Amino acid sequence: MFNDSDCLRILEQAMSTTADFAEVFQEVTESKSVSLLNGQVIRAATGFDSGTGIRLLAGTNSVYVYSSDNDIEVLLKLAKEAASAIKGVSKGSIEALKELCSTTKATVEIDPMSVAKTDMVDFLRKSSDYALSYDPIITQAASSIASSVRTVRIINTRGVNAEDTTKRTRLSIEIIATKENEKQSGRVAPGTMKGYEFINDYPVIDKTRECCDTAIRMVNAGYAPSAKMPVILGNAFGGVIFHEACGHALEATAVGIRNSYFTDMLGRQIASSIVSARDNATIEGEWGSYATDDEGNTSSDLLLIENGILKNYLVDELGSRRMNCAPTGCSRRQNYSYAPTSRMSNTYICNGETDPKDIIANTEYGLYATQMGGGSVDTSTGDFNFAVNEAFLIRDGKIAEPVRGATLIGKGQEILKNIDMVGNDLELSAGVCGSISGGVPVTVGQPTIRVSSILVGGRE
Amino acid sequence: MDIKSAERFMEKLVKAGKEYGFEECEASYASESSMSIDILDGEVSSYESSATSTLSFRGLKNGQMGYCSTNILEDSSIDYLLKSTMENCEVLNDEDPQFIYCDEKNKDLYFSQVTDAYSKNTYKSFSELGLKIEKAILDADPRIDAVDYLSVACSTGPYLIINSKGLHSYRDSDGISIVVSARATDEDGSVKSGDHFWIGKDIDEFDLDKFMDVFSEKLLGKMGARSCRSSNCSVVFKAEAFQQFFMAFFGNFTATPMQRGLSLLADREGETIASSVFTLKEEPMYEKALTKIPFDDEGVLTSAKAIIDKGVFATALYDLKSAYKAGRESTGNGFRGGSSVSEMPTNLIVEAGDKSFDELLEEAGEGIILTDLSGLHAGVNSISGDFSLLCEGYLIENGKKGRPVEQITVAGNFYDVIKSIKSVGNDIINLPSGEGEFFTPSVLVSSLAISGDEE
Repeated sequence: MFNDSDCLRILEQAMSTTADFAEVFQEVTESKSVSLLNGQVIRAATGFDSGTGIRLLAGTNSVYVYSSDNDIEVLLKLAKEAASAIKGVSKGSIEALKELCSTTKATVEIDPMSVAKTDMVDFLRKSSDYALSYDPIITQAASSIASSVRTVRIINTRGVNAEDTTKRTRLSIEIIATKENEKQSGRVAPGTMKGYEFINDYPVIDKTRECCDTAIRMVNAGYAPSAKMPVILGNAFGGVIFHEACGHALEATAVGIRNSYFTDMLGRQIASSIVSARDNATIEGEWGSYATDDEGNTSSDLLLIENGILKNYLVDELGSRRMNCAPTGCSRRQNYSYAPTSRMSNTYICNGETDPKDIIANTEYGLYATQMGGGSVDTSTGDFNFAVNEAFLIRDGKIAEPVRGATLIGKGQEILKNIDMVGNDLELSAGVCGSISGGVPVTVGQPTIRVSSILVGGRE
Repeated sequence: MDIKSAERFMEKLVKAGKEYGFEECEASYASESSMSIDILDGEVSSYESSATSTLSFRGLKNGQMGYCSTNILEDSSIDYLLKSTMENCEVLNDEDPQFIYCDEKNKDLYFSQVTDAYSKNTYKSFSELGLKIEKAILDADPRIDAVDYLSVACSTGPYLIINSKGLHSYRDSDGISIVVSARATDEDGSVKSGDHFWIGKDIDEFDLDKFMDVFSEKLLGKMGARSCRSSNCSVVFKAEAFQQFFMAFFGNFTATPMQRGLSLLADREGETIASSVFTLKEEPMYEKALTKIPFDDEGVLTSAKAIIDKGVFATALYDLKSAYKAGRESTGNGFRGGSSVSEMPTNLIVEAGDKSFDELLEEAGEGIILTDLSGLHAGVNSISGDFSLLCEGYLIENGKKGRPVEQITVAGNFYDVIKSIKSVGNDIINLPSGEGEFFTPSVLVSSLAISGDEE
């Protein structure tokens, strides 16, 4: 990391023309990973990456330059290039740097970077040994552990002087069952900002068994039907629909340029009155948490929707200029090769009051999606699509046969209004969200919920 | 860092690697310079410029290949790279032999394809062009409300590999991309969005009129779109949709997934797997391709070949490791991605048929044209071939293009689709894909399940 005087030289160079704001973002990331397939360690890798990004703003005009070369002369040259490209009207000022504020979000007992890869392999082997002897129908067991430690330093012309360190670990287990030409998988991929103690405490055998059971059920299942019907979305990763169909449309990236169906909707009813939702980056040890965002702001616990009323957008610095409101501490980027923008952290629908069992019992016919795959949404039109990894039909209030190959489609703005039951079993689930500032760790979450009608695209 | 300094560092690193105890070792260096501008509301809203590089080291010890990477090319990194890589070798227990390779007859590989046209890529030329495109889009139709995304970008960089067997391989490439996304309001107040792109090597070859013709149709053609009835019907995949669709399953044509039991095409080379009207070739040096690839990242020369020849699965793609396991030669498809080598395609070409797009519609009679598929990262089972995807397109009525459709899904199985291709069009387009591009026309498929919510 640079010293303060080097950082100030870069800022001065960046502000030499017509920028009204400049920021230097330095990053150092170390990573390690091991992967097993059917008991063989097929990959082991280590990496070290560092670089610097320099951002200039003049109103809503932005310039971003970055380099993996941390030589001060190289960066001064880049800052000069940036200064010549910014289109402002007058020269801005530089405030004195505040005292360095260092943050880290989680209490880590065992540093994952200090754990020997052989220990990681021993842990993963428990999963593959168990899966491969579980049932002859299980043909592949893949698993991996990846850990990283990322330290960033952010200084800007408003005197912000922040440093933040995050250590993250993600475990992935995928089990495949084969029946003739059909292969189906069951998977879990928890992530954490706790230390390696999270892995040591993880119920790996129970979770591997659940993956095996899902894979076996799905490989034996028939195709899902095609029709509009009530859909019960299971808790935890079921929240991916809210993340995609609502969360992205609340980001300043979309709202700030009016490319969202939630533009100008603050204070208005956008969801059923039993729906409240938050984006909370402050949860201790959670995969999507952080203490300081990538613009140097303190992270926040933001109420997005309260009883169906839209309360807040996710706003970064550039978005705040477009939307004329304050940033909410949600500016993130994958690494220095991306300019930061408004992103989600741990985003979830809050607990309701209904027992999930009652949601099922009160559904005469419908689809119960217990494990969601990925999906995507167009924030301008609201069109979304989600793959369902594990689903059952509900008949007469009871869980009936498993079905595979279902895709849920619809309009984001409609689905929120059609949530007619919210359970009390909120859980979060880790993922990686991709957007214009790259892939960032997030969690999605919700209790079990029911949507009165979604088009299920199946094959029967 | 300049390429000469990087080369000196790599030579030193490889020498140190042998002394450290690796049986063989290799260093690769990838560097990229890029520049881009975004246009929003009649202004250059954003400018980006970058220079990045990564050095990756891999070494063989007791038959195991460890990897480590860094972007700091200083002597102090050498210890870190060697030590970390050795630690990784010690934890691996891959049963299959791996290789660091050099063909005695092709020790020095060199291929430069950056042209003088790259110097035309300046802030000025990009911003002028970007603003012109934005204006053309907004002027095209009063229903178009905004251009939400418009980016003009270029990048270039060298890729150098040096190994302890004597390989010295250099190649570089460059390219320009233009990506736009705009939205328009339909009569009923609903919003439609559309996007389009252009790739090339010379900014002067961009044809705005041609670009706008296609883009206008892509966006404005959606006006009045609504769902349709569920049915099993003929489907014409428009070329762009067919490329997206085919590539979601392409991994099945590569050898490593086959050997791991993750592809249903394992041991089926020589069998008929697709319709006899369908031929897919890989041509690394394809004349029309923007990026030509004479050798892969393992130092193996590439070659033109059919992957599917008139419906017959002619060959899978192999790298050195999977080829050894299969007892055959590498097909020159070993490409580095992060901390591993895997089989990737270079330029893929679906052989054109003799029918125009309109003739495909005539042949279909009734059915659906698919122009856009969503959720390909999630809504497909890439192993079994099953898919169920959100899509958009048009009805085919009486052999002609009918009204636009949206909010429908198309479901089926990839292996059934390639068997039921009835005709291949001649409207070839190219899209970036794998290590190169994918050239494909539209194709007519006899029957797929469409789900919509109209009665």
